[in-house]
Amino acid sequence: MAPLLEVRDLAVTYRSGGESVRAVRGVSFTLEPGETVGMAGESGCGKTTVALSLLRLLPASAELGGEILFKGENIVTLGWQRLRAVRWAEASVVFQGAMSALNPVRTIGEQICEPILLHEKVGQRVAETRAAELLDSVGVPSRRKASYPHELSGGQRQRVMIAMALACQPDLIIADEPTTALDVIVQAQVLELLTGLVRERQISMIVISHDLSVLGETCDRLAIMYAGRIAEIGPSRQVLGAARHPYTRILARAFPRMGDPESRMAPAGLAGEPPDLRAEITGCPFAPRCPEVIKACRSHDIDLWPAGEHRQSACIKVLDDFRAFPDSAQAALDSTEQAHAHERAGLQLEESAAGFSRADDPVLEADGLRVVFPARRGRGPARAVDDVNLTIGRGEIVALIGESGCGKSTLARALVGLIEPSDGEVRYTGSRLRYGAGALREHRRHVQLVLQDPAGALNPKQNVYDAVAEGPRLHGIRAGLTERVHDALAKAGLRPPELYVSRYPHELSGGQQQRVVIAGALALEPSVIVADEPVSSLDASVRGEILKLILNLRDQLSLGALIVSHDLGVAWNIADRVAVMYLGRIVESGPVADVLLRPRHPYTQALLSVLPDASREQPGHPLGGEPPDPTKIPTGCRFHPRCPRRAALPPGDERDELCRTVPVPVLPALREDSADTSLVACHLADLDVPALAEHSGTAG
Amino acid sequence: MTTIDQTAPGSAAAATPPRFQALRKFAREFARTPTAMAGLAILIAITVLALTAPLFIHASDLNVVNAPGQPIAPPSARFPLGTDYAGRSIVPLLIWGTRPSLAIGVISTALTMVLGSAIGLLAGHYGGITSRLLMALTDWFIALPTLPLAIGLAAVLGQGDASITIAIAVTSWPGTARLIRAQTLAVEARPFIERAKALGARDGQLMVRQVLPNVAPFILVSATLTVAGSILSAATLQFLGLGNPTDVSWGSMINQAFFQGAVSAGAWWYILPPGIAILVVVLGFTLVGRAVENILNPRMAR
Repeated sequence: MAPLLEVRDLAVTYRSGGESVRAVRGVSFTLEPGETVGMAGESGCGKTTVALSLLRLLPASAELGGEILFKGENIVTLGWQRLRAVRWAEASVVFQGAMSALNPVRTIGEQICEPILLHEKVGQRVAETRAAELLDSVGVPSRRKASYPHELSGGQRQRVMIAMALACQPDLIIADEPTTALDVIVQAQVLELLTGLVRERQISMIVISHDLSVLGETCDRLAIMYAGRIAEIGPSRQVLGAARHPYTRILARAFPRMGDPESRMAPAGLAGEPPDLRAEITGCPFAPRCPEVIKACRSHDIDLWPAGEHRQSACIKVLDDFRAFPDSAQAALDSTEQAHAHERAGLQLEESAAGFSRADDPVLEADGLRVVFPARRGRGPARAVDDVNLTIGRGEIVALIGESGCGKSTLARALVGLIEPSDGEVRYTGSRLRYGAGALREHRRHVQLVLQDPAGALNPKQNVYDAVAEGPRLHGIRAGLTERVHDALAKAGLRPPELYVSRYPHELSGGQQQRVVIAGALALEPSVIVADEPVSSLDASVRGEILKLILNLRDQLSLGALIVSHDLGVAWNIADRVAVMYLGRIVESGPVADVLLRPRHPYTQALLSVLPDASREQPGHPLGGEPPDPTKIPTGCRFHPRCPRRAALPPGDERDELCRTVPVPVLPALREDSADTSLVACHLADLDVPALAEHSGTAG
Repeated sequence: MTTIDQTAPGSAAAATPPRFQALRKFAREFARTPTAMAGLAILIAITVLALTAPLFIHASDLNVVNAPGQPIAPPSARFPLGTDYAGRSIVPLLIWGTRPSLAIGVISTALTMVLGSAIGLLAGHYGGITSRLLMALTDWFIALPTLPLAIGLAAVLGQGDASITIAIAVTSWPGTARLIRAQTLAVEARPFIERAKALGARDGQLMVRQVLPNVAPFILVSATLTVAGSILSAATLQFLGLGNPTDVSWGSMINQAFFQGAVSAGAWWYILPPGIAILVVVLGFTLVGRAVENILNPRMAR
């Protein structure tokens, strides 16, 4: 069968103000009918440009070269009328930000009808019936068709986007980061829905994502892009499992698999920056950052080359002439890996021995902490943090994990003193935090905050020096300020500091910006940092570098850290202990290995089961229901409405009553008997999980 | 506060080049805009004229007594723009008139900016009851009719340039206050404000070190556009006879022309030049102001 889509030597150049950026530099691939191809790569690698060029949705400053054959027609030279017909009717797009891609002043029903009415000669009534069917098929009740986008949750909006993309029964769907802004559990639900619908309707799909693990699970084939070209393409499982390009290997490692000893306390990252696409590139574009670079890479550059069955790679080592090299390079790699493994084995021993002595010397504590936001606009008061006990020891890294809306960011801000708790207390080295101006300033010298979005966290009008010097200046530290700033920058990995001090935030990459934010915190010489999603807005390769930095700071300065994240991988990568939060409470806490490998709370189990994993045969079981609402906390166990373990109880079981009516006791910060196991807040914690799964299988 | 200066050299030396770069980029874009350059040329010419006027205009040129020509004489070789009611040449009067117009326009704008920015910043930063009180005050001033208020103020403070300046500043700050409050709210929602708070910044430090540099471009844009309005208001108040009675200004020239029957006499050379002068200066400031707005804040303009 002829391919549905054939892209030949696609080139896209953005021209503005005399400069030209060669964003895409020769991309070729094919897409068979019904096939799903994933495109991954760092930001700026050209993946979104490729996706948008397939429907010529690029801005006017973009110049297109090469051929895009869609059902035999060349999109690059297609007339305007024909292009309009192709758009949406034959190929549609699922955009990233469903909030901004949907029109806020029109109902979702109208918006789904719009493409049907535009492209097909059908009446309003037929279109409305179709829209209702589509909404039902994406799991949004069709009675909600009169809702406006702001009345839906993030996951529902993304579902509406999918319904819109399906409206005209296209042959191709382009999904541009379809789940990036969503929570893990919602992400799993949306992905499952999207792939299911596409498979069922025999639609081809191109999925763009920076998250390789998401793609691995959903796509038949994967294309890894680097610097405007495809570095490697092939069947997903093979590309992820046995990469033929060093860049793929690094990306695949960036999101760790739970239980993989290699990534424990060793986040994988990639130093350096991608090449400047305004300049001419000689040799392999990846050579300057490649850990396996050989001499020939600097001068020779190859296009995609067969590297096994159905596979192609742009690494010079797949050529016959260089076959001799990989083995020796592999041997070198193996020996360093072995050394790392030994190191890690030592580390793990140390961890089990010393892990809890760290926690025994508490630096930052929350004791019975509650934060209640007052009621507004017809909604009751929001109990964002509802009786939480948490301890961060000296030099200890604690990960706080949970969905958005669970109160984890509020808890983080309360610990820094930015939010005054309604009840309970925050303690620093045993003494209670007071909320007077002077006491708060003193507290902030010791407890520092690192925010999610480094680009926003830096004042665009301040250069790096001023951004880092801000803290000391605010605290009246003026003696030796220059040395202090340079020292902090060096500790944060910006070496030599002289190179960076006079730069402005927009002149730095995302990773460098986050280092500046961390340096700004370090300049006050704190003993704990509270980091709210420190890596979630960063590229996969940079993520590992920043996590390594936090780990190094712990080792060198015995800096404690609370890492707030929705990403369990972060906990596996660097944390000593982990606390899982649900609806304002900690539901499970303990040493990372215990909680993540032997989860006992059904919520932790659900979080772990939805982690994308290409090596898994069956998809995970995402939790049903919407993310929790802190204004409406259920009685009894607050997780019971969504709890799969309770749902699996035999009918009439008295424990069901227990879950629904009796609150679960609040977990203490640490186990009093210092046994090396986790704490869990579940009435049914002692139930045998596999037995239950079996039971639910027969019952369902 | 001198200790800050001691630590500053290292940072200042490091900080200057990029700031110069930003300035150079601004200058390049400004130079590429023909209307902006035209406006700038007008402003430079008029400023030079105003500053150097005392060098070539003598007190005798402006003196009503012993005027050299006939009253309200049409343009001639000796008097290129004719003469006024007292027989003085219009040309030196016109040039001298730039001085009070520019001075009042610039000084009242400076006052407007200080008052408007301060109130806008405070209202935007503190929110709550402070914001409501300050905004109620702002709305009250917006609702007041400008001209009667200015006349009333000038009457209370007495005739003269100072009272005109104050009257203009007092009536034109609410617009700036509203703009700066809105921008302050937008800036305060950004994460670097939270970072600064976590670093230990007090309210004053937040406003001055974090918010002010980010709203400064808006203050600049607002200022360049306000100057034009202020000059117009100044001319209006001078026309109404509230200016310094002994000084020559464009507003007072039109006033005299009006009341000495220049209109009925068809003495266009008497009444038109000051009007055109006002138009040209206002146009100069507006052109520059629009260009600055376009460059500093392209999203707002387009």
